[in-house]
Amino acid sequence: MPDRGARLLEVQYANLAHQGETAELGIWAFLINETIFFGALIFTYYFYRLTYPHDFALAARDTVLWCGSVNLAILVTSSLTMVLGINAAAQGERTKMIRWLVATCALGFAFMLVKGYEYYLDFQDQVVPAVNYVAKSGEGPAGELFWVFYWVATGLHAIHLMTGVGLVLYMLLWRIRRGEITPVYYTPLEVVGVYWSFVDVVWLFLFPSIYLVGRS
Amino acid sequence: MSVTTVERAAPRETPSPEPSYLTAEHTVGSWLLTRDHKRIALLFFASITFFFFVGGIAATLMRLNLATPQGLLQPSVYNRMFTMHGIIMVWFFLIPSIPTTFGNFFIPLMIGARDLAFPRVNLGSWYVFNLSGLVVLYSLVMGGADTGWTFYTPLSASYANGYVFAAAMAVFINGFSSIMTSLNFIVTIHRLRAPGMTWLRLPLFVWGIYAVSVVMLTATPVLAMDTLLLAVERFIGVGLFDPTRGGDPILWQHMFWFYSHPAVYIMILPAMGVVSEIIPCYARRPIFGYVGMVLALMAIAILSFFVWAHHMFVAGISIYAGVFFSLTTFFVAVPSAIKVFNWTVSLHKGSIVFDAPMLYSLGFVLLFTVGGVTGLMLATLAIDVGVHGTYFVIAHFHYIMVGATVSAYFAALHYWWPKITGRLYPESWARFAAILTYVGFNLTFFPQFILGYLGMPRRSYTYPVEWQSWNVLSSAGASILAVAYALPLLYLGWSLIWGRKAGPNPWGATGLEWTTPSPPPDHNFSSTPTVVHEPYLYDPEKATFVSQEGTRHAG
Amino acid sequence: MTIEVDPRRARPFPFVVAWALLLLLFGVSLWTAFLGLGLWAPVIQFGIAAIQVATVFILFMRLKGPPSLKWLFAVSGFFWLLFLYGLTMTDYSNRKGWPPAVPVSSSQQVHPPGS
Repeated sequence: MPDRGARLLEVQYANLAHQGETAELGIWAFLINETIFFGALIFTYYFYRLTYPHDFALAARDTVLWCGSVNLAILVTSSLTMVLGINAAAQGERTKMIRWLVATCALGFAFMLVKGYEYYLDFQDQVVPAVNYVAKSGEGPAGELFWVFYWVATGLHAIHLMTGVGLVLYMLLWRIRRGEITPVYYTPLEVVGVYWSFVDVVWLFLFPSIYLVGRS
Repeated sequence: MSVTTVERAAPRETPSPEPSYLTAEHTVGSWLLTRDHKRIALLFFASITFFFFVGGIAATLMRLNLATPQGLLQPSVYNRMFTMHGIIMVWFFLIPSIPTTFGNFFIPLMIGARDLAFPRVNLGSWYVFNLSGLVVLYSLVMGGADTGWTFYTPLSASYANGYVFAAAMAVFINGFSSIMTSLNFIVTIHRLRAPGMTWLRLPLFVWGIYAVSVVMLTATPVLAMDTLLLAVERFIGVGLFDPTRGGDPILWQHMFWFYSHPAVYIMILPAMGVVSEIIPCYARRPIFGYVGMVLALMAIAILSFFVWAHHMFVAGISIYAGVFFSLTTFFVAVPSAIKVFNWTVSLHKGSIVFDAPMLYSLGFVLLFTVGGVTGLMLATLAIDVGVHGTYFVIAHFHYIMVGATVSAYFAALHYWWPKITGRLYPESWARFAAILTYVGFNLTFFPQFILGYLGMPRRSYTYPVEWQSWNVLSSAGASILAVAYALPLLYLGWSLIWGRKAGPNPWGATGLEWTTPSPPPDHNFSSTPTVVHEPYLYDPEKATFVSQEGTRHAG
Repeated sequence: MTIEVDPRRARPFPFVVAWALLLLLFGVSLWTAFLGLGLWAPVIQFGIAAIQVATVFILFMRLKGPPSLKWLFAVSGFFWLLFLYGLTMTDYSNRKGWPPAVPVSSSQQVHPPGS
């Protein structure tokens, strides 16, 4: 184990703890960027929703609430499995760690499946702007703006989620297989965990914005 | 803490067998896959110099066109020229210029670290930059965009003929390069400072890079979202910012300028940091008001986020918003002015050496002052209504971006040239180039203030014939400026082969970077230095200086 | 080499509680959508989302661990967004005609906001 630790220590750091904490700070710095990126999108969305409340409420009725809700539950659970995986890494329980990380990946895939099905339903409902869009009765042209936001926001979120799944797979198939994740130094997994939970956070904000509009 | 006068022989870096970062490895792969911040700095230097020439060619064609009212280029071609000039100069030269070259090279050296916090992210940033460069070159080669570098909707999204989508995507990708670089600097400066290097002992260049990194990290994502939405609108044909379909073009401008105003401060903050290094060294005096300079840098960084709608005074925003943003713009000028006062006072009772870095820095202070004062004029609502969209604005921002920032870039290039390359440049040629730059710059851009006042609109391929004499002066100045910018290429290139070899500290400067050999070895320091002093401990009367790790030297 | 296990990582119980809390809050948020709260609905739902996000940050993302600077970075993004929201709304909040009073129907030409 000391050998592997020495190999992982980069020359600009005093020790592994220094390196690990700096890596954690780095991912949080990256999240500043992600927060503002999605925040700008959400701002634009709410701006138009304030401008056209009636059209947005009408258009949003066609969102598939059960898909959004199931996906929220899936993501929250995946955050739990990810954390349990990191805990197992901290305690040196390799098998448990792998199992929890595989569960996290599986939940990520499940999210994509539900999302894919939802996109299929959306296409059937004819709410794909510029491709297959028909305004509902009583809905003005601004309704299409709601759907542009829907596709951009959920599309960007899906890309981030797939990146997260990719990172977990990279951890599983590369770092963990080479024995580079040990109780002495498991920061790369923690960094991936922070990113993963952030993808969850984005959905926590997107869900009420998209799915809970105009339901009453 | 008292200044300990440790009298010992100047630390002679014993001619160690350790090779420099330039000669440590020789393969192409060792350069393209390097993790060494110094090599990455040189990689960036190559990329941005290339784009400086591309943007410069566009400027040359523009000034040739404007020498006569009949012009040289077709109007639609002229429109693409000024658009691509703006896009390339802003995102592919000015914004990366000082941070990715001198920032990358010197931040670890100045804080006593062996590399940045995340070396692979640093290399990744260069590759992302080049990817965005390929996309913008594609856009350029295919004919370019013609919307102006500001991409206003709905022209850009719905009506423009040209490669707007590619140009917007190039800017989007470029933003991630900025974000990766800035994130690296912020974390490095927080976490990798050597023992004894407290925040208030950091050289002002480090503070300048820290401030610019905060701005880059927080402003760029808004531009990323704005250009992404623009690209979506253009590509798919929905009406996000199209008024005929319910969209709001002013909202696009708000988000664009939320980034682009801080962006202009991204372009000036590192330049201010450079000048704060050079003036103390060449006046042989400490900087006046170090803490005030730090506070001013951070104040500029934060306040820059509160002023953006001064670009939109005549766009249709509410008059009360106009008043608010005019007021905040006046406020942001205050810390900049404090810095100008401090640089000036730092010269008092100094023992000034008029070498090229100092000449460029003095030029910076003067040109920045002119640009800043004319910026205050533009912040005044009543004046702006008259000169918005005229050459007055163009002259104002070129005084800052070219007069100030590019001068500081050349100042940095000359100041740190011996450290980076291990060679001294020929001083007389450099002094000549610096003075020629100043003359050429003023001749190019001062007439533009007058043209703007007279009413000449910007982004126009032609003009009434009575303004020709001012335009001819400006174009003549541009040709002098071109020579002044080309000269350093020649004599700096010459020095690489025939220049005198430089010692570790040819200028007698106090920073940690000057305690290493020239050029530095691979990992900067064989052992982490301990810092005992604040920077700029130059004593003009005793003609000595104390470097930050504690040794007193003559000079 | 002794393995020092972070005591906060030893037991899964706090994390399971957090997970249950997140799902419970989601249920509450869902319920508020059907209550006819009008303009208050998004405000309350965002408030609930903020509590959920704080839970995820502190518990799942270990915001309180070293280095202590993490929390500053975590809130900075949101803080900066306030600049964007607040200052942009200084424009729209006192423009005549925004938001437009008349609901737009499909038969009407859409007028740009603020005209």
